Amino acid sequence: MDVMKRYFELIKSTVNDTYEDQKDRIREVAGLFGDCMENGGVVQLFGVRHGEEFMNELNYRAGGIAPFHGLKLRDMMLKNMISQEDIDSGAIYSDLSVIDRFYDAFEMDDRDMYCLVSFYGNEPLTVEIARRARENGQKVVAVVNKKSYDAVGGTLLDYADAYLDMASEEPDIAMTINDVKVGQISSTVSNVIAQMLTAEIYDYFVSRGKEAPVLLSANIKGSDVHNNSLTDPYGRRVR
Amino acid sequence: MIDARTFKDEITVLLDQLYDSQKDNLELMAQAFRKCIEEDGVVHVFGSGHSVGLGIDIKDRVGSLVPIHIMEMADFVTKGGIPAEEFMDPKNIFERKPGVAQKLYDLYDIKPQDIFVVISNSGINGIVIDIADLAKKNGHKVIIITSMKHTLAEEPRHPSGKKLYEFGDIVVDNCGPHGDALIQTDGVAKVCSVSSICNNCIAQSVAARTIELLEEDGVELPVLNGNEEHDTYLKKKYEGRA
Repeated sequence: MDVMKRYFELIKSTVNDTYEDQKDRIREVAGLFGDCMENGGVVQLFGVRHGEEFMNELNYRAGGIAPFHGLKLRDMMLKNMISQEDIDSGAIYSDLSVIDRFYDAFEMDDRDMYCLVSFYGNEPLTVEIARRARENGQKVVAVVNKKSYDAVGGTLLDYADAYLDMASEEPDIAMTINDVKVGQISSTVSNVIAQMLTAEIYDYFVSRGKEAPVLLSANIKGSDVHNNSLTDPYGRRVR
Repeated sequence: MIDARTFKDEITVLLDQLYDSQKDNLELMAQAFRKCIEEDGVVHVFGSGHSVGLGIDIKDRVGSLVPIHIMEMADFVTKGGIPAEEFMDPKNIFERKPGVAQKLYDLYDIKPQDIFVVISNSGINGIVIDIADLAKKNGHKVIIITSMKHTLAEEPRHPSGKKLYEFGDIVVDNCGPHGDALIQTDGVAKVCSVSSICNNCIAQSVAARTIELLEEDGVELPVLNGNEEHDTYLKKKYEGRA
């Protein structure tokens, strides 16, 4: 089989396994998100390194659910609160002195909950965000690569109400070509999990006889007005 | 009822469609990557909004190609000296300002052998078309990733009257639906966007095929392998470019 086909087949089979192994947990997490949103809360997303892809996948997308917000380190950088170097080197994730600036940079609310996405689930910053959220009575969902989490002895799940698994190998290597390690799958699988969550949150609202807060694509007439009506009540907590 | 299974089933069908209909274009894309990298070139990736995820996904991990460069709007602040307040002003959207593509282009060290990947689902917005146009005018090979269903359903907005795919030497259709969301609900809304998933599969499979081609040619593989000395050497080699 050619390598391109191999990649597609690997994604499809991992997605299928992920669904079979985690469908109950995906539903449970969607329920936590739905409960939070029903109570006026926003799901605050934070992604470590490539975990940002999952954050972006749920943050203000056409066909997505409105009350999500990405806590982007880039926004802190643009506000001169941290440097590009802090992000590029990864130093930011182990620097707890940044945490006060982190909470200053974003508008959040006690009704909000957190979804923290970290391949290893062991960075001090991520674990501390989870710890404080739990201490404050807020729900925490973690998305980790469980094999990697176990390999490094992560602690993020100690503070999580539920978790989802990126279902990738440790390390995340898609394939080898003559002993050369090539490509990764964890972000793509995570993006699929994010969309499965979107479908389940949609069902959460509809099955309760409510309208799901779905963002419309810009190509649908009136989408601006509709989308603003979904996000405006949250002020800067979602946009 | 719409649930996780609905999405799993539909994305599986879509990924089959994507591979089956685009495999020749993916091969062309990998051949272009091979030629560029063998001539010590860099692949510049530009996509507005969520589309930039394609570039991020194939960078900076063990198994990633090094000569990939992401052109980011935020570079205006970090490299271009534009104040963050101006860049983030919601009332005066930065990327819609005239001449902004040329200014972004000029921030980078672009060599003649470099190639460009420009990504946009709708393929009608100004800056992505301007970047593709600039790259083409400067003699670079341009690869476009777009949703043909989406772009063909839209009216062109660019002053040229053209859409992004018309600037491509190679055009890959990510096979996403008009509006990006895959699953039709009972109402007007559709849910679950697919472009990031499809674009990641395009980028990852092309990167893998590129590495295979480079390996066959017996050239140095610019691929991170987790060995610190090796990876530092590669990062140094492309420093300031990728």
